[in-house]
Amino acid sequence: MTEATDLAERAGDRDPRVGLRAVAALRRLLEQLEAVQVRSARNQGWSWQEIAAELGVSRQAVHKKHGR
Amino acid sequence: MFERFTEGARGVVEGAVAHAERGGADKVEAGHLLLALLDARGTKGAFALSALGVRPEAVVSGLEEARRRGGVSAADAEALAGLGIDVGAIVSRVEEAHGEGALAHGRPRGRRLWAGSGHRPFTREAKTVLEQSLRVALARKEKSIGDEHLLLAMAARPGVVRDVLAGCGVTFDALERVLGNGNGNGGAAKAG
Repeated sequence: MTEATDLAERAGDRDPRVGLRAVAALRRLLEQLEAVQVRSARNQGWSWQEIAAELGVSRQAVHKKHGR
Repeated sequence: MFERFTEGARGVVEGAVAHAERGGADKVEAGHLLLALLDARGTKGAFALSALGVRPEAVVSGLEEARRRGGVSAADAEALAGLGIDVGAIVSRVEEAHGEGALAHGRPRGRRLWAGSGHRPFTREAKTVLEQSLRVALARKEKSIGDEHLLLAMAARPGVVRDVLAGCGVTFDALERVLGNGNGNGGAAKAG
């Protein structure tokens, strides 16, 4: 049995491992989604300040993470 | 630690750097270590993979799919589906708007700090694999670190690489079955 089908079967049992795995994966996906959106905004001429405001973080934080 | 690496294990580390370079990645990832392991010939790592009937293409495509999903393995996607999150739908919408493979690239291409330079740092995950390989070798009471220890290390730590390996039937237990579970404890590797 593959790990994936095994997980699907256990998902209904509220197995913490499945829930925690989902959270960790979502975090990675979120980071990539953020990178895609920031890149797109920059390509459309948005300033770091504007991007930071939409994300609700400081300009320094967003520039440090995505700049260069 | 690196002085304890066998020629095979060093080959995997160097091969991983080459894979990262070829793929245009700015860092050497755990997935690159796994790709390099697939290239190994005549090592215990290569023996273990073939003894478990691993098809290299399956590993390559498993890694590639996870990369395209933004670092989400097939098993991760199943877990997220349990929360009602359809990763496939997210990936297609993002790719529709931002191009194929949009989620696979963290940063804009061509403006990378390390692009084109010879030096590529290892990601935290890749470093963890190297460190874990030492721990695995010590636990097995084996003095040098071979590529089979790198493989065992990959199968031991949660992450995309472990999931891809598990999807191909390569789990820590399965590896111990073909490699033996430590010095003097037999296993198909010693018998053969």
